[in-house]
Amino acid sequence: MEPPLAEASADRRRFLGMLGLGAAAVLGGPALAACSRRPGGTGSATGADAIKAVLPAQKPMNPLAKPDIDGVGIIPDGYLRYPSTLVDQITEKPGRGGTYKAIAPWWGPTPPALGDNEYVKAVNADLGATVDTSQQDGSTYSDKLSALMGGRDVPDILVAPNWEVGKISRFADGVKALFEDLTDHLKGDAAARYPNLASFPTSAWEYSVWGGRLAAVPFPVDGPFAWLLYYRKDLVDAAGRKAPTNIDEFYRFGKEMTNASAGVWAFGSVFSIVQSMYRCAGSSESGWRKKSGGGLEFKYETPEYRAAVEFTAKLFKDGLVHPDVVASKGADEKQLFKGGKIIVYQDGGGAWRGMQSEQLKVLPTFNMQPMPLFGVGGDPVLHGTERPIFWTFIKKGTPKDKVEEILRILNWCAAPLGTKEWELREYGVEGKHFTRGPDGSPAPTELGRKEIGSQFRFLTGPIPSVVQTADVPNYVQDLLGYSNSHIKFLEKDIFAGLKLELPANYAKLNTPTEDKILDILRGRRPISDLDVVVKEWRAGGGDEGRAFLEKALSDNGR
Amino acid sequence: MSTHNAWEERPTLVGRLGKGGTLVLLVLVVLFPMWSVVVTSLASRKTIDAAGGMVVIPREFDPSAYLSIFSGGTVTQALWVSTVVTIGGTAVSLVLTTFAAYGLSRPGTLWHRPLLFVFLLTFLIAPGLVPTYLVVTGLGLKDSLWSLILPSAVSAFNLVVMRAFFMGVPTELVDAARIDGASEWGILFRIVLPLSKAVVAVVGLFYAVGYWNAYFNSVLYLDSSDKWPIQRILQGYILGGQSPAVTGNVPINLPGVTAYPPSLAVKMAVVVVTVVPALVIYPFVQRHFTKGVMLGAVKG
Repeated sequence: MEPPLAEASADRRRFLGMLGLGAAAVLGGPALAACSRRPGGTGSATGADAIKAVLPAQKPMNPLAKPDIDGVGIIPDGYLRYPSTLVDQITEKPGRGGTYKAIAPWWGPTPPALGDNEYVKAVNADLGATVDTSQQDGSTYSDKLSALMGGRDVPDILVAPNWEVGKISRFADGVKALFEDLTDHLKGDAAARYPNLASFPTSAWEYSVWGGRLAAVPFPVDGPFAWLLYYRKDLVDAAGRKAPTNIDEFYRFGKEMTNASAGVWAFGSVFSIVQSMYRCAGSSESGWRKKSGGGLEFKYETPEYRAAVEFTAKLFKDGLVHPDVVASKGADEKQLFKGGKIIVYQDGGGAWRGMQSEQLKVLPTFNMQPMPLFGVGGDPVLHGTERPIFWTFIKKGTPKDKVEEILRILNWCAAPLGTKEWELREYGVEGKHFTRGPDGSPAPTELGRKEIGSQFRFLTGPIPSVVQTADVPNYVQDLLGYSNSHIKFLEKDIFAGLKLELPANYAKLNTPTEDKILDILRGRRPISDLDVVVKEWRAGGGDEGRAFLEKALSDNGR
Repeated sequence: MSTHNAWEERPTLVGRLGKGGTLVLLVLVVLFPMWSVVVTSLASRKTIDAAGGMVVIPREFDPSAYLSIFSGGTVTQALWVSTVVTIGGTAVSLVLTTFAAYGLSRPGTLWHRPLLFVFLLTFLIAPGLVPTYLVVTGLGLKDSLWSLILPSAVSAFNLVVMRAFFMGVPTELVDAARIDGASEWGILFRIVLPLSKAVVAVVGLFYAVGYWNAYFNSVLYLDSSDKWPIQRILQGYILGGQSPAVTGNVPINLPGVTAYPPSLAVKMAVVVVTVVPALVIYPFVQRHFTKGVMLGAVKG
């Protein structure tokens, strides 16, 4: 899914480039101007059988510490307290003294470089190798990736986030030309040499195959839901109300919680979740489902979607949505939600813990919770994905023994909760980077916060787990409670296990079409215009995408 | 009958109050955010939480945010890098731009029209990201501070401004110098440049501000964080704790990222540290700036 701002920033860059004026253009202009990017080609698909043939044999690992709450399926296990004893899992040093350059994204203050960083020194000492990770700005990472791959100048280890690879033209060709084929190292039982990697879910590996070859080590996703519908439980309780349990109550709830004269509106953006309530086809984020008579239909073409549009447009029309959200696509809904100006809005799972922790310091009663979801005429249909968060690639031409050394290092980085390796990777050295609280859980020191970034944390992830921390009491119970009860609504992805590079015409349609639909929701265009929008979408590449995807499915006997 | 013209009459009290009030309002609009940034950078966490964000009324003087950013060494190092790049880069740019502009301003210079055309072409056609990257790495500039200077050393816009200014220098002066036996270099250094201090200052300021604020080239060409300029470090602080789930609604959880966001005071302290040098230097160049704009306005 492309961040909504990406389009705008590309336009700004083109604009600056065209002008060629001003300080920005003086220094950044030519390079920025080149950042408008184009996914290329007519698309390509790798079949499920070809993918299955190269996957590692999964060997689940017994948890080193018994979870307090088991996660269902791919939901991470929950721990209410930090493990009291830690296992020294990897006794033999994974490194053989090699020196490797890695590049990974990072969102935060830049930690000191290799020479001045005690954390990096400590981890490298434990690894028996020198890994020098350059932590690049996560918000411009696709530009960096484009330059590195276009310039054929990749480091020994390169981390690529899943939402960025779609922006790189001919990424699959780049993978083949620039990165080592890991199939022979990891296929089948060969993966057993790297037990932590072999414990990753097969679904994570399925997404790491390009052109029928295993090309990357995945970073398994730690939460499958694309969206949660957050609401301010503290404010709702104070108003003597309850979370709605059906769509009519949801509308009434909106009416009752909106108090425009006090500057409070019930809703921010909710359309994605409303689609789930109306059981729109999503098939993860792709939006396609099989028609009963054969072939595929896109969500825009279904009556469920039209009903979701009509309902959401009514929320806008009846003044239940905050005017900032009505006026602009880029309203800061988080800030409005924190300030109690909106009561309900949709956001990713990553927003929860940080916001709750931050706001509890300001308002001790602050309580944001995901609203339990309901469907209209059946269960809700939730969209999500098991696609890994990152992929880690190894530079092509790296000698076999060095590739093995890097894989052993990645295996170290994937050590799960309950190991000394996990603690060192996550928190650094006790006494320097963290101190232990009375319950045994590590609390980072100033040095820890300063020195630890994505150096080793993002190289590859461990099997995810959630541990309670004192700053957000009940988080683990709340998260696992919601996730475990909603995982059954997660839609089965009809394309699961296929590797799709979508046709360019189809891939670029998403944002402009969604913008047109946003206009309909806001009442700037009549609802009857939906037919026109769908017609334009079909002609602009929608039908081309359908033909491509139908062929990919039939080629795989689905 | 009044001895003054109508437009020389003293404005009414209401008029003066209106003007004064508007000016004060405009100044406040500019100063208020700056004030708030400075006050927040000096506020304790408690005050920031109580204010629910940016602080307006100072309650205490807490320099811990400044101590924190200067203790790690990355900010100090980045300030040093930015200073070197700004001073060095501005010098390189001024030398190259002055020579090119002077050459192109003299009629009859070898190929001056085609060369000018090539310069102007860069207004319209920007090289692509990958070609530029290939040139920079091919020249061996990767991970070197030169990669922040050379790719943007000459701006066609500044070159055109300077050339136009040089063309305005009276030919009589140049001819007189030539009759007195001055060489082309002598004419440039002893006649044209002393008359063009204003434009050199203005173009120098453009370049300096550009280098100080430059960010993107360091993203592309510098991997070692000890060579990153201050804007790059600032970006890290401002984005601190904002995973992509926060910045772009990419619906994922990212372990570790949101764990320890830097406090607002620290973010604002970095903003202050970044902005202050430009604020300090600007008044010194500003008099040339005004002179440059006004020069020739009342000639005749």
